[in-house]
Amino acid sequence: MKHSIFKNLALAGVLAIGLSSCSSGGNSSDQNANADADKQLLGAGSTFGNPIYTKMFSEYGKTSGIQTNYQSIGSGGGIKQLMNKLVDFGASDAFLSDDDNSKCPAPVVEFPTCLGAVVLSYNLPGNPELKFTPEVVTGIFMKTITKWNDKKIAAENPGVSLPDMDITVAHRSDGSGTTFIFTDYLSKVSDDWKTKIGTGKSVNWPDGELGGKGNEGVAGIVKQTPGTIGYIELTYALQNSMVFAQVKNAAGNYVKPSIQSTSLCANGDIPADTRISITNANVDQGYPISSFTWILLYKEQNYNNRSKDKATNLVKELWWMIHEGQAQATPLNYAPLPPKAVAAAEGVLKSVTYDGQPILQ
Amino acid sequence: MTPFDIRGTKRRQIKDRIFSGFVWALTFSCLIVVFIILFYLFEKGIGSINWALFTKGPKPVGEFGGGIANAIVGSLIVVVVAAIIAIPLGISVGIYQADNRGKRIAERIAVAVDVLQGIPSIVIGIVIYVWIVKPFGGFSAISGSIALAIMMLPPVIKSTEETLLLIPHTLKEAALGLGASYYHTVRKILIPTGMGGILGGCIIGVARIAGEVAPLLFTAFGNPAMVFSIFKPVDTIPKVIFAYASSPYEDWQRIAWGGSLILVVFIIILNTIIKLFENKWKVQF
Repeated sequence: MKHSIFKNLALAGVLAIGLSSCSSGGNSSDQNANADADKQLLGAGSTFGNPIYTKMFSEYGKTSGIQTNYQSIGSGGGIKQLMNKLVDFGASDAFLSDDDNSKCPAPVVEFPTCLGAVVLSYNLPGNPELKFTPEVVTGIFMKTITKWNDKKIAAENPGVSLPDMDITVAHRSDGSGTTFIFTDYLSKVSDDWKTKIGTGKSVNWPDGELGGKGNEGVAGIVKQTPGTIGYIELTYALQNSMVFAQVKNAAGNYVKPSIQSTSLCANGDIPADTRISITNANVDQGYPISSFTWILLYKEQNYNNRSKDKATNLVKELWWMIHEGQAQATPLNYAPLPPKAVAAAEGVLKSVTYDGQPILQ
Repeated sequence: MTPFDIRGTKRRQIKDRIFSGFVWALTFSCLIVVFIILFYLFEKGIGSINWALFTKGPKPVGEFGGGIANAIVGSLIVVVVAAIIAIPLGISVGIYQADNRGKRIAERIAVAVDVLQGIPSIVIGIVIYVWIVKPFGGFSAISGSIALAIMMLPPVIKSTEETLLLIPHTLKEAALGLGASYYHTVRKILIPTGMGGILGGCIIGVARIAGEVAPLLFTAFGNPAMVFSIFKPVDTIPKVIFAYASSPYEDWQRIAWGGSLILVVFIIILNTIIKLFENKWKVQF
């Protein structure tokens, strides 16, 4: 018995050491962290912007020492965590609706960081490059076109041998800004879509479609399942060598999604609150499913005992993103902000305050 | 015909054989499944085990390389803290349950423990999000640990209770009869005697929570940086596997296989350790 007791005590000792080292580890790193806490920022949301955001934050961290934790949980999740004041900033590809804005506990401002294209990526034998009209896109996602060799697809793609294969549709299962952009586009080109399904971060999809979590998840499904089509951000398709369709725009031209064809849609005027939808733009060579992607933050930064240093670090980082950070856009196939959008975003960031005083002088 | 050869012996013997064969085959198929999973995991995962996996954090999306050092550290913090919360609490409840069998309150506790065991882990995650994360204004490793500790309680309570019930009552009576206080009896007689079984339950609990992702999604959240604080968001291995395995990036899928292998090897090691300890601590009556 004595033997067991001894061992028992030894075990208790080990546990106690584990406990103390754990808590002391926590404490000491917390003391450093008190100085450092202001340099650690937390953001969450858009998976559409995840590739460029992780790259930007990694680059900014190298020179500024600011450590930014960005979690790609979907635009809907990002807005929700910002509303609950659990993150320093949210990221969304859908600007806040007036309804969402009224639900926030304090005024939220938003500004665009770059532009991206939602592409229709598919997995077919031989990976031919297809052309889609808005009617075909709507038909596929409403399940009125169910075969790859459907006449409507074939009519636009002479010379391409289309397989006699069922079309499997993949969409986002989480609250998604990418879904918002895509359904916003479909609602503009199809009254049927507008009345039956509508625009939103998550919508009532027809039965029998696959759901994926995040742009990562949908791209994963399409890449791994032959016969599947899904909508994802351009960079996900390019990074994974996936094929995607040309789409006929409002001007009647087939356009391939690219940095150029995306930027062309954003050359118009930008409202001061930067809330603008540019899908289905009537631009000669513009890709019709293009959009800004936004970052959201509270206009008054003194909440939840946040220090002024933290607020300043945050706003400075965001300021960097719309200026120097724009250099990261093109290599990752996002379109940089046009000058008018940068000016509007600057206006938004200058309006951010701490105790009512503008943070940026 | 020998005197022992009663009518039907032969038939019963054949029946017996068939039944044994059946049991053997089922056992074997169970083992086969385990081995296929392990084999597949090793085949896929061994190639991704390299130094970078253990020493590097994640790279920006789409860049090649990187590792899961931050998630390994995060998982260790979250699981160890969860065990520190759940084990003392679970053992205490288990002792109470074993001592008060048949009492109404003990029966109610037993039902509560069963219900707790049946609650889906994602629900526990949401409850902790509402109770801890939101009021305290931040995601943190400790909130993840609390969620996991709740999941870990039932196996610890049950194994403690079952083990203590196996200890002869006379042992406790003798201790009390010799003038030992109840506290001493529990600490110096009951727990040491049942140590093997109690520890077994604790290890089962740890193995159960080590692979959980659902309760951590909105508690421990995630963090690409390596942190050693329990008050900061952290990445965990299961969360990384969840995010990376469903992604289109081949490099991420590779890392997910590596992470899975690390997790499974960790659990196998835990199981082996407990088997060793169980035998060492086994008390013969």
